[in-house]
Amino acid sequence: MGNRSSTAKIVEMHSLAQWNEKLASTKQSNKLLVMDFSATWCGPCKWMEPAIEEYANTYPDVEFIKIDVDTLADVAREYKVEAMPTFVLIKKGKEIARLTGAKKSELRNLIERHRNSN
Amino acid sequence: MAVSGFEGFEKRLELHFFGDIDEDDNMLGLRLLEFESLEQVLFAVQCTVVSAVGNPFFDAYVLSESSLFVYPTKIIIKTCGTTQLLKSIPPLIHFANNLGLHLQTCRYTRGNFIFPKAQPFPHTSFKEEVVYIEQNIPINLCYRKASVMPSKLPAHSWHVFTATCLPPLEFPHEDAAFTVEVCMTELNRHLARQFFMKSGDGKTGDIGGKEMTELTGIDTINPGAFICDFAFDPCGYSMNGIDGDRYSTIHVTPEDGFSYASFECVGSVYDDPDDIVVTLKKAVQVFMPETVSVSTTGCSREVWTKVAHAFEPLGLKCRSFAMDEFPAAGTIVFQTFTAARRK
Repeated sequence: MGNRSSTAKIVEMHSLAQWNEKLASTKQSNKLLVMDFSATWCGPCKWMEPAIEEYANTYPDVEFIKIDVDTLADVAREYKVEAMPTFVLIKKGKEIARLTGAKKSELRNLIERHRNSN
Repeated sequence: MAVSGFEGFEKRLELHFFGDIDEDDNMLGLRLLEFESLEQVLFAVQCTVVSAVGNPFFDAYVLSESSLFVYPTKIIIKTCGTTQLLKSIPPLIHFANNLGLHLQTCRYTRGNFIFPKAQPFPHTSFKEEVVYIEQNIPINLCYRKASVMPSKLPAHSWHVFTATCLPPLEFPHEDAAFTVEVCMTELNRHLARQFFMKSGDGKTGDIGGKEMTELTGIDTINPGAFICDFAFDPCGYSMNGIDGDRYSTIHVTPEDGFSYASFECVGSVYDDPDDIVVTLKKAVQVFMPETVSVSTTGCSREVWTKVAHAFEPLGLKCRSFAMDEFPAAGTIVFQTFTAARRK
């Protein structure tokens, strides 16, 4: 299973200010940011959680954040999130890829493809 | 026909609940079920989640052997193979009760198994299934009916059992929705081959599923739906489509000798009846089967009349028609179609 402190690698955004700061920080490097849009009432999101934790551990060069669509509804709307979970990949402040649905293999593929890209 | 093989024909269970859905819960009802509880239910049935997606209306799971849909007040599970679907009833009722929800209606339907002898308890016969359900639902669901709807083809009949605590005049048509369940056998071999993994490809799971969805045109059946798909190794395919509060689902067993595909979707009495016919035609065209059966639950006369002619352009003629009324479900119509060139 691995050690539980791995969950510290996935930071949940609690405010718009925190999110804006995070987005701004992506412009400082070529680091890949993976946004996980989820809802507390969405079963598929819970099913996906272990996979995301695994990827956060496997790819320490990639940053993972979690956004609750009810807490930060404006951000969810801005990124046109209609179904959950939705993953949006960001580099240098821009969306470079997205995936809708709890699709474990496809998410891994996207991360592998984009983590080192420019 | 092969001596033995994978059983494509599904068993389908739909459970409706009622209870005090607190305003604070945002009317979430069954969606408040812990995922661990759902896993326990699926363990009893012997299947697992392989892909999933949720929207504001419901959660949709693609399972190792079909699909699960969780709405606030209803759960639909459809499983194929040799799963023991009815074993989901006791734990589901138990977990729902913990949420203050009580069973209102139970509906169980299935076609004919291609390999009936391979089925485990309690699915060895319809009689055994009915006895099992009756032993596991509350006695206040006192309006009950079990029936086998026939066709002219011995291999195709439609088994239905419904039970409800709602008295006849109170059967709700809260959203005037109807369900359509399509079963296809003897799929066109060339088209069925698209549901086999390409050798050496290694693309299974959600990646392989996406390719199959696009290659076969399944994504054009309802372009507005979001699709969650999955390709099985070495062959087989499943998908759930979500569009607002409506689901659709397709499952394919492509092997020659026992090939099978199912398509299920939801319609509304407020839809244009031609829409459902267009959808069904598109779905059948993906597979071009030799035999199709269509069961509609709760739709208008106009819809099932149109369905009778829906596949004529595809060379499929309606061969049988059966209609019956069931508690809570309303009118169920069962029609079968075979190639026009066959007698």
